[in-house]
Amino acid sequence: MYLEIKDVKKSYGKDSSHIQVLKGISADIEKGQMCVIQGTSGSGKSTLLNCIGGLDTMDSGSVKVDGKEIFGLRPDEIADYRREKLGFIFQFYNLVPNLTVRENIEVCEYISENPLDIDELLDVLGLTEHQNKFPSQLSGGQQQRCAIARALVKNPALLLCDEPTGALDSKTSRDILILLEKINAKYNTTMLIVTHNNSIKNMVHKVIIVKDGLIKKDYINENRVPAAELEDL
Amino acid sequence: MKRVLRKRLPRDIKENFPRYLALYLMIAVAMYLIISIVGAADTIINGTVSKANANLVEDGHFTTFIPLEAYQEELLTNSGAIVERMFSADAEMPDGSVLRVFGERKTINLPHIDKGEKADNMGEAVLEKRYVETHGISVGDTIELFGKNLTVTGIGCVPEYDMPLAETSDMVVDSSLFGIAIVTDEQYNELVNDDVTENYCYAYRLNNSLTHNELKEMIKELDFDYNKVSNIYFREMIDNILSDKEKLQDGINEIYDGSKELTEGLSELESAGDSIQSGTDEVFSLYLSQVNSVISQMGFTETLTKDNYSEILDNYAAMTGSEEIAALKKALDGLKAYTDGIKEYTDGAGNAYNGSKELSDGISELKSETDEFLDEVFELDIANLTEFTEAQNDPRIYAAANDLITNKKIGLLAGVVIMILFTYVISVFVIHKVQSESSIIGTLYALGAKKSDLISHYITIPTIISLAGGITGLLLGFSEIGIPIQMKDTYNYFSVPHLEPSKPLYLMIYAVIMPPVVSMLVNRLVISKKLSKSALSLIRNEQTTDIRGRINIRKLSFINKFRIRQTLREIRTGLTVIFAMLVCLLIFMLGMNCYTVCNNIRNDNVEYTKYEYMYTLKYPAENPPENSEPCYIESLSKTNMGFTVDITVIGIDDTNRYYDTIPVKGRNKLVISTSAAQKYSLKKGDTFVLTDNAEDMSYAFEVADISPYSAGLAVFMDIDSMRELFGQEDDYYNMLLSEEALDIESGRIYSVTEKSEIIRSSGIFVNQMRGMYTMLISLSAVIFCAVMYLMLNVMTDRASFGISLVKIFGFRNKEVKKLYLSGNTFIIAIGALITIPLSKLIMNTLFPSFVANTACGVNLKFPTYLYAMIFAAIMLIYFAVNSVLTIKLNKITPAQVLKNRE
Repeated sequence: MYLEIKDVKKSYGKDSSHIQVLKGISADIEKGQMCVIQGTSGSGKSTLLNCIGGLDTMDSGSVKVDGKEIFGLRPDEIADYRREKLGFIFQFYNLVPNLTVRENIEVCEYISENPLDIDELLDVLGLTEHQNKFPSQLSGGQQQRCAIARALVKNPALLLCDEPTGALDSKTSRDILILLEKINAKYNTTMLIVTHNNSIKNMVHKVIIVKDGLIKKDYINENRVPAAELEDL
Repeated sequence: MKRVLRKRLPRDIKENFPRYLALYLMIAVAMYLIISIVGAADTIINGTVSKANANLVEDGHFTTFIPLEAYQEELLTNSGAIVERMFSADAEMPDGSVLRVFGERKTINLPHIDKGEKADNMGEAVLEKRYVETHGISVGDTIELFGKNLTVTGIGCVPEYDMPLAETSDMVVDSSLFGIAIVTDEQYNELVNDDVTENYCYAYRLNNSLTHNELKEMIKELDFDYNKVSNIYFREMIDNILSDKEKLQDGINEIYDGSKELTEGLSELESAGDSIQSGTDEVFSLYLSQVNSVISQMGFTETLTKDNYSEILDNYAAMTGSEEIAALKKALDGLKAYTDGIKEYTDGAGNAYNGSKELSDGISELKSETDEFLDEVFELDIANLTEFTEAQNDPRIYAAANDLITNKKIGLLAGVVIMILFTYVISVFVIHKVQSESSIIGTLYALGAKKSDLISHYITIPTIISLAGGITGLLLGFSEIGIPIQMKDTYNYFSVPHLEPSKPLYLMIYAVIMPPVVSMLVNRLVISKKLSKSALSLIRNEQTTDIRGRINIRKLSFINKFRIRQTLREIRTGLTVIFAMLVCLLIFMLGMNCYTVCNNIRNDNVEYTKYEYMYTLKYPAENPPENSEPCYIESLSKTNMGFTVDITVIGIDDTNRYYDTIPVKGRNKLVISTSAAQKYSLKKGDTFVLTDNAEDMSYAFEVADISPYSAGLAVFMDIDSMRELFGQEDDYYNMLLSEEALDIESGRIYSVTEKSEIIRSSGIFVNQMRGMYTMLISLSAVIFCAVMYLMLNVMTDRASFGISLVKIFGFRNKEVKKLYLSGNTFIIAIGALITIPLSKLIMNTLFPSFVANTACGVNLKFPTYLYAMIFAAIMLIYFAVNSVLTIKLNKITPAQVLKNRE
């Protein structure tokens, strides 16, 4: 297993405001798999993603990536883990506004020991002609493609996507999903996609449904539908 | 809407309490200092002028060789000038200091008694307060003046010695060396006897019917009977002058008498010539008759005359060959030649007589004219007036007020500049807040809020902070730790009455109104544009890319590109830091310039004072003592920037041992000291106009050279040229320099200055100004640290999302620091490299006006290493702030991105 999640628990607040967000979640994801974590708002899916990404700490449990335990790592070890293994894609792109498309990608290239070729990435993502534009000069889809390029330039083994199409229209969402599919195929990148969109689960290898901090259901999608053919995006 | 928004204000203050507290404290401290400095200046300016007027301060004073006659004083008074004697004598005290003793004052320059009572009886004295403080004297103590013990009954000051300088040319007040004592007239007369050199000074006050110049002319024209002068040295001087006059007159008289005798002699000679002439004619006629008788006996018939005898006798001699006839002719020729000679001689004697008569008349006329001329010339040279100084040209009068006028102006201006700086700092926070609340603002717009409502909302807290800071500063400034503390500097230097701190209305308005108004204006200006976007644009938090983003830096490395982008993004904050740096450096340079000038004065005085003793003489002896270097000094004045300062013109020769200056011959040639060159921005070839106020004369000198000399404001002339220019004798001198004490009668001496005194006095400036420059330097450092921290902190806050983001990507803390903090190093370094010389240049330009009333050079040169040290200090402060921010930066977690999303 590339990603092993065991009995992860997470709570916020104290006393009367105490909320148990994750109540013991366990799951396994294999290398190169695309996995969707789906759930309603407040179900704990994003918290789970954050715990996997080392953005948030777990109260207990275990997360192993490529055999390495994340729980209990020091901040600098967590930074190295993210640096070496992870890529992040957010709903609102989170591009650095005063950097151009290329420079935003270079941010992650800078810390990577074996980065992908930026020109090739720009080409793959259709951003070559926009590479010197600033985020404010791009459409939402273009910005999200830039964010994907930034996440991919490190050639991460695990790509964590938090509502990657949440801020996009249907057509653009499809384009982004096609792109993710293509990347998965090309770079064998393991992907964990958090979404509340019901259609996306049809294109991935594995689906985890979270509800009230627990896994309600997880299964291998035997009948994958290419992103280009997804409906109701 | 406004009411609802208002509810946010306390929450916002609570949320950002440390930041707002820091700004409030900075404004309060700045206003406190400004209010206390300006308030103190105002108190001193108004207070000393008012007290001086109440104590009937003089409009001017003049000194004379001998006291005016009572009728002369009355004449001046009747003409429109109240004149009162301010006679004084300098008493040397056991510790080497000098107390200038005055008699009572009745109508002018009345003393202000701070402690005790005025001296009403014999054996009592009032002492000047600075002298008393320096010497630890109290009311009731006994002092010895001219061998007599007097009890100190009071301590106070007099308005004409507001700055208690012994001489107006003195550079610095040194109350350990000089003070004033006032005794009764009776006591004064007992103390000051003939052996004591007395200064005959009169103070005057004019009414509207007489001008200063008219009074001066009147004094010059007053009769002056120098025979009444009893001072032996003055008599000697007068006798010298008169003996010269008498010698000249004796010479003319001798010529006159000689010519008269010559005329009389020639007259006698002319009269005798006629007798001789007629005698010789008679002898010739008798001899011719005898010859006629002889030749008639020889048978010749012709009669010989004086005109024909020669021809006839020659014919007879030729016809007869008679030797007798030839001998007769020869005898007649000889006699005729003698007669002609006698005639010529008597004619000459007549001419000589006529000529000598003309000569005698001429010499008589010369004598009469010369007598008249000598009377005129010698009368002018020994006019009774020796000095005439209007109060406005006297550096001792209103000195404290003049000194603080600049403080007041600078204080008020600095307050506005510092408020603009602080307000700009606040505005950076406001902008940051506006940007971070962009979507909220857009939503409020969408809900119907007006731009004016939001502007009011966002400028409310800065306005409240500025108002609170201003009020606090005002209260502190007006408290016991405000104005009274600032006034101490003045009390420690000037001799002014104790004054109650004034609390002028304009300062209250300045402190309470100016900060919030400046804050409102600046903040309104900077956020207005930010709030002018459409609601949708604000809701989306759309970022526009302005010209800063379009800079092409593609070829640079990522790190450099990132830093440049970050710098450009934070350019406003960066410029605020640089602006703060400039303001702080200006304050710092003001402090450093104060220190530098004082320190340079101390060092220069030590370096350039090569003599051990300097004697200025009132009545120089005919020959200077051995082992002394005679010089000639004149005190002229220069008015610059509204202040009149005495300039000492020193006449020296090429071989003077104590000055390295080589004087240039010529009545209009000056070699100026570097101190004078610095103070008046003079260079070789310039014209330097100096004024003799007593004589109402201005001299335009050519700056022939600049000599490295900085002990006081001095200029040098060739001593012979100077004697010629000022109409002194060829061997005149009035200053002696030597390496050892000279044996000179005390009555001849005006003052003695020892090198050790000069060195000690020079150090006073450093001590006196220490509080001022320490405060300025500390204040600048505190403001700079605070502003730099606040600004770099806000930069970090603004970048926190980006920092959080790159941390998500796996950037380590060192790399994050490199991206977000290290770029500031270049801004600070470049800013420092620009602002250090710029601030120095600005302050060097302004500084001379701050010390325009001080008779010293303005050597503002720093050693080069000091610039390096300032730069190093700035960088050190920056790195200290950076270290604090690094801790903050390390604490920023990746979760911030998530918070933002949520």
